[in-house]
Amino acid sequence: MSGDLGLVVTGVGLVLPCGDGLEAARASWTSRTPAFQTLPDSVGQGRGAVCAAFDPAGIIPPMQLRRLDRPSRFAWAAVHRALRDAGLDPRALGDRIGLAVSTLTAGSEASEAFMRPYFAKGPEGASPMVFPNCVANAPSGHVALAFGIKGPSSTQLDRENAFFAALDQARWWLETGMVDAVLVMGTDGLFPLLVELLQRTGLAARHGDPHAHGATGLLPGEGAQAFVVERSEAARARGARVRARILGLASASEATEGPGDRRAALARAMREVLGATTPGAWIAGANGHPRLDAVEAGLGGDFPGLPPPAHPKALWGELCGAGGQLMAAALLGSPGSVLISAPASFGSQFAALLETL
Amino acid sequence: MQRRVVITGFGFVSSLALDREGTWKAMLAGLHGLRRQTKLDLPLEPAQTAAEVDLPAGAGAGPRATFCERMARVALAEALGTSRGLDGLDPRRVGVFQGAGTSGMPIAETYLQARMAGRWPGAAEAVYQTPAVVTDVLAAELGALGPRSTVMNACSSSLLALGQAFERIAGGALDLALAGAAEGLCRTTYAGFASLKAMDPQPNRPFSRDRAGLNLGEASAQFLLEPLEQARRRGAVIFAEVLGYGASMDAHHPTAPHPEGDGAARAMEMALRMARLDPAEVDLVSAHGTATPANDGAETTAIKRALGTAAARVSVTSSKSQFGHTLGAAGAVGAGVAVLALRDQVVSPTLRLVDPDPSCDLDCTPFQAKERRIRAALVNAFAFGGNNVSLALRHWEGA
Repeated sequence: MSGDLGLVVTGVGLVLPCGDGLEAARASWTSRTPAFQTLPDSVGQGRGAVCAAFDPAGIIPPMQLRRLDRPSRFAWAAVHRALRDAGLDPRALGDRIGLAVSTLTAGSEASEAFMRPYFAKGPEGASPMVFPNCVANAPSGHVALAFGIKGPSSTQLDRENAFFAALDQARWWLETGMVDAVLVMGTDGLFPLLVELLQRTGLAARHGDPHAHGATGLLPGEGAQAFVVERSEAARARGARVRARILGLASASEATEGPGDRRAALARAMREVLGATTPGAWIAGANGHPRLDAVEAGLGGDFPGLPPPAHPKALWGELCGAGGQLMAAALLGSPGSVLISAPASFGSQFAALLETL
Repeated sequence: MQRRVVITGFGFVSSLALDREGTWKAMLAGLHGLRRQTKLDLPLEPAQTAAEVDLPAGAGAGPRATFCERMARVALAEALGTSRGLDGLDPRRVGVFQGAGTSGMPIAETYLQARMAGRWPGAAEAVYQTPAVVTDVLAAELGALGPRSTVMNACSSSLLALGQAFERIAGGALDLALAGAAEGLCRTTYAGFASLKAMDPQPNRPFSRDRAGLNLGEASAQFLLEPLEQARRRGAVIFAEVLGYGASMDAHHPTAPHPEGDGAARAMEMALRMARLDPAEVDLVSAHGTATPANDGAETTAIKRALGTAAARVSVTSSKSQFGHTLGAAGAVGAGVAVLALRDQVVSPTLRLVDPDPSCDLDCTPFQAKERRIRAALVNAFAFGGNNVSLALRHWEGA
């Protein structure tokens, strides 16, 4: 192994287009059944992976539910599941538990919902109830309020792999001793204007499902994935069940932004986390769009012995937690070492190495 | 490994001036950048006061550069100007950390408005102008090949970005980091704060009995952080030392601060602990000080709780009275004000503080700049979602 960050995952909570919870996700992942369907009109026109079976009953009080946008609803449910899975009560931890969130869409649907009546009617159309959801950190605020989380919070918007920027922030908070645990979470929700934009820019595939290689576009997805991350010794001390050890996490970028540069940066991050390790599985971030897929294309040849990549975005779509779906998939396979490559269409490229138990 | 971290580059673009020293000189002279706003077409809004940045044509220009990008480029150029060059640094150990607020919102607003009018405008800009664009542009300018981070914690975004940069340099992961933010006006935030009845039609009055809300503003502040030993070797100008930061959530209300400033106090206490600072060493608080009825009293209570008896002799200032509330950039702007105060041993004034609120009974530096000994400073930034960040800085004496 390349090393060990001394961090472990002790709780998992998933809301995915294939259903809520770990077992629904495992069934989808094992069978490699895509969750794409014709989107309901409320979400947009075209195809995508929508959380149609999402059921917040018994988790989010009805009065609260009405105030939450989709990313916040998904986040609330995922955190509920992750905390229960970890056997952790944030209220008992005070400000010793943090929240590191990634998203590509939080705040966007609310911004449209706020500005549409404003543009139509002027100031009298503006709703003070909607405006607080227009910020990208609205899910973290709602989750903190719901579960009594009082430690540090960060919401990262670093493109398709923002989840790993959030995980990196969690690592720093844990390593410096600022907190004892961090909820690391990705959350995203689809809405009509977003789906329209993806289609009009040619980012979204117009027909069929994306294939990880040779496809012409992505299909959008939504959902939330929450993970309780703790220092190994802290988890051991409280007798927590460990679902995975985090062995490595690295990012790299290039000053120029050609496909070759992004590929070189991702390779550098992968090399850093792998060291001499040959992982048992490789979770890859290709989404069917040539721009992103080119970052990972052919990388297997640079790393002899690397197993063939598996592509969660081919099942659950892009967006969908800004990379959180990759972390989820890594925890769903057979126990062993798992490499995650998390490319981005611009900016930092991330790689992580886990040992799942 | 825990390394000492110093600020060796600082660029500031504000509504008062397009550079650091011009801005500081104007602040100390008691000037402000608030005026009737000219950039947004919002004729029905009763509050029209804002602090706008007038960038000359071509300043900070780049291919299809947005206003925020342009401000950030100008601020970066100034920050690099004081850094004595970065030659010899490993670009893989140079990172970029940016806070974002409104970011690409103006483009999204224009797209939505056009669609509502039945038109089909170009969609590419609305998709590609994400908050991370400014981060990427600055990284390319800097030649940084290390980590990049784009934080969107609303009004505490850029102070957290500074904290992220600090911990990575202190922890030995990076040798140089650029941290800051750039924020422009947009209709969503303008209409949003107006809908919350949080906007003062007049220039805002932090800590005043009759304070009636905030004005929005534009700015960019960019800082270069590096390890002390490296800065000394390079002969870099050192503005101040970064000692640590704290961050917390109120878990109280989606928009309103905790009435007793609980989360804000915990963020300040955390910053003091990380900085290993005694409250008695803190001589300045660069406050969040939004001039909203809820914030200023709660922040005063929080400062008292965090500093204890030392609060009675601390100077407090709110740069919102000069620059308005620059949202995602507010933390970086507040840090900039504190850095210059530490350098020159003078506190910039809180303007228009004619009638202090009895609940804001600290020395809030009314009207005039105040020369005094400033050994250490706390910078506060609080945000929607009950999100609080506090940064601890120390005067650099060349020790």
